[in-house]
Amino acid sequence: MNSTTKKVGAIAAVALLLAGCAAGTPEAEETDGGSARGGLLTIGQLGDVASWDPAQAHVGHALVPYQLVYDTLILREPDGALSPMLATEWKYNDDRTVLTLELRDDVTFSDGEAFDAEAVAANLEHFKASNGRQAVQLTQFESATPVDEDTVEISLVQPDPAMEYYLSQAAGLMASPAAIEAGTLETDPVGTGPYLYDKVNSVRDSQSLFTAKEDYWNSDLQKWDEVELRILGDISARVNAIISGQVDWTTIEAKSADQAEGAGLEIIPDYQVDWTGMTFLDRDGVINPALTDERVRQAINYAVDRDTLLEQLQLGRGTATSQVFGPDSGAFVDDLEEYYTYDPEKATELLEEAGYADGFELKLPVIPAFATQITALAQQLGEVGITVTQETVPQPNYVADVTQKKFEAFNFNLFQGEAWVAINQLISPTATFNPFGTTDPELEALISVVQQGGDDSAEAAQDVNRYVTENAWFLPLYRIDQISVFNPETVTVVAQTQSAMPSIYNFSPAE
Amino acid sequence: MLTFTLRRLASGLGLLVVISMLTYTLLFFSSTSIARNILGEQATLEQIALKEAELGLDQPLPVRYLGWAGAALRGDLGESWFNGEPVTQTILNRLPVTLVLMIVSIVLVALIATALGVIAAVRRGWVDKTVQVGAVVGDAIPGFVLALLLVTIFAVNLGWFPAVSTIRPGAGPEAWIISLSLPVIAIVVNYVTSSAQQIRSSVIKELDKDYVRTLRSRGLGEREIVLKNVLRSAAPAGLTVLSLQFIGLLGGVIILEQIFAIPGIGPLFVTATTLGDIPVVMGMTIVTVVIVIIVNLLVDVAQGALNPKVRLS
Repeated sequence: MNSTTKKVGAIAAVALLLAGCAAGTPEAEETDGGSARGGLLTIGQLGDVASWDPAQAHVGHALVPYQLVYDTLILREPDGALSPMLATEWKYNDDRTVLTLELRDDVTFSDGEAFDAEAVAANLEHFKASNGRQAVQLTQFESATPVDEDTVEISLVQPDPAMEYYLSQAAGLMASPAAIEAGTLETDPVGTGPYLYDKVNSVRDSQSLFTAKEDYWNSDLQKWDEVELRILGDISARVNAIISGQVDWTTIEAKSADQAEGAGLEIIPDYQVDWTGMTFLDRDGVINPALTDERVRQAINYAVDRDTLLEQLQLGRGTATSQVFGPDSGAFVDDLEEYYTYDPEKATELLEEAGYADGFELKLPVIPAFATQITALAQQLGEVGITVTQETVPQPNYVADVTQKKFEAFNFNLFQGEAWVAINQLISPTATFNPFGTTDPELEALISVVQQGGDDSAEAAQDVNRYVTENAWFLPLYRIDQISVFNPETVTVVAQTQSAMPSIYNFSPAE
Repeated sequence: MLTFTLRRLASGLGLLVVISMLTYTLLFFSSTSIARNILGEQATLEQIALKEAELGLDQPLPVRYLGWAGAALRGDLGESWFNGEPVTQTILNRLPVTLVLMIVSIVLVALIATALGVIAAVRRGWVDKTVQVGAVVGDAIPGFVLALLLVTIFAVNLGWFPAVSTIRPGAGPEAWIISLSLPVIAIVVNYVTSSAQQIRSSVIKELDKDYVRTLRSRGLGEREIVLKNVLRSAAPAGLTVLSLQFIGLLGGVIILEQIFAIPGIGPLFVTATTLGDIPVVMGMTIVTVVIVIIVNLLVDVAQGALNPKVRLS
């Protein structure tokens, strides 16, 4: 070995040593705020956002990317409690039509614009005018008036008991008014949030990178130096990525849960957000007269063996139920859980009473995600004489077709949110999944009490639940366990109640 | 040679026009609820009508197509209807990854298949039998099954490779190499034996010809005959197979890129097609057709260079 080779060798050895040292440095570091920040958090995300404009934000999985770059007016804690965020306090007037927010005065947007009452008004008006995917959140919004720089009054057409909740969700995301004005938010988000979107190092529908924003106003919420969203639409890609340690968190299906646990990963326990089953849309019999009779709808509920379906379709990871409201919704009623038990004889009797002794035909739209479930349902309903015919529809048209009244009933996984949110999604005459607008004076009276938000509100919400369960507006099968899986060596994750994905604030570096 | 190339180029352009028209027409008839899908579940009918007008969905098909084609001729492929990103930018971000995957795979397939094919043809014996059996097996196993098998063994269980791609914009060569290894192996294993089989058959056919006997009688070495003369005559058949495989790969990589989450055009094609994002689908179609035309042109030119008779036909 000559001397040059020796020198090269020595340099290489030193370089390796240095590299080793660098790699050995603990990832967590102390920030100015005093709290420890983690290095890189990699999330296996189901899909990319269509637009970075917060007016197009959605709920659950689709809200998290926005939380990285935008703050909300109100923070929703993991258990559902509402805490100050950009708004420090808020209160209603007596008839609950004006909500006054006090705002932080020390926050600026990443483009240097100040966050103030004008910005809040501009955002709420932009959200309302854009009519995005969560437009329903500002249904009752009338106007927002700045009182002074850090006070804003939100006027409502009618009381909305979920308004504070909405301000912690899509409607509460605050973007820079200058960027709203410029119309550039679609591809360039500008918020006050804990991270900055690294557009150069991101590829649409593949990966998005975010870096911690220096001097963010609340270092407690900023737990990582970098966050990467890996867009993994393919379920086997998500399973492989989490098991091989390439992502720290993702969501998978029940059939891969045992494999993940076997590989030393953890699944957030007792995490239920959606219920699955059928919604009878055509309760006034526009398309299918049989569905007008509540005895027919009840018969369908008795004809179904929920426990078997849960075991077969979800490997038992879920809870069979007869109600569409979840345990944290405020409308949950314990004894409605098993209101409909598996009783094919009773189903047959009810069908006879309703005049359908020879059965009838029920047409359902089918997309691949529900093909197995619908086939299983069809078999069970077939045993009491109900013939299910399936019509395959293109995936992107599924919800659109349903809201356009093309089908009498449909199968879906639906969100179990706050009582008022669920009522607006499923039950009220203007609800998205009540396209035929079926209703009843008794029900509307109850809904109105819920809306007033007074002392009777919770009880009225339970009565709404009782009404739709007894009248069999739906065929709930079971609440689905979210298989929300994480690598306990790199990250600690806490469930976010009523959200399919934990909020970004719920991800902390592992101890 | 120049007129030959120009003639091929002209017919390629004709193909491009025809395919773009056909694709546009097919998309037109399947695009009933695009406006609602863009705007979301709660959009009102007026909003949908406005959006349709904005996207030009209310105009007759020929007008829409000409508008699109006119812009495309000026190099403007429009913006995604769903996320507003310019289509050209989207494709430029993703095409290099897919092309690297395809070109590396097909070059490896060509090298290995030629070697295997020639050895099988000249030596026969076990190499020959393996190639024959391998051709049947290779054709029978779908590429994605092989890919899933490889990812389970070498990424998830052994941890030698990443299970999903680590290629980021600006990622170093090592990210490309380790991320593309498994998909390239899947493609090569899937394709190599059937190409080797083709090369083997044409080499055997050439070896039986009179000129080979003449060359042998003049005392030329077998190695020289095979490498200089036989391979040159057998090459066109091999090239045709490889070009067909390359074009077939354009479809095959879509699934592979989904499985390995590779940021190529595959996942984009799937998302855009499912959503009905016409500008993106059209942009991707044009790029795909252009690649097919270029590959065919290169193969034709190579064939012409190898065999002057081709130029006359």
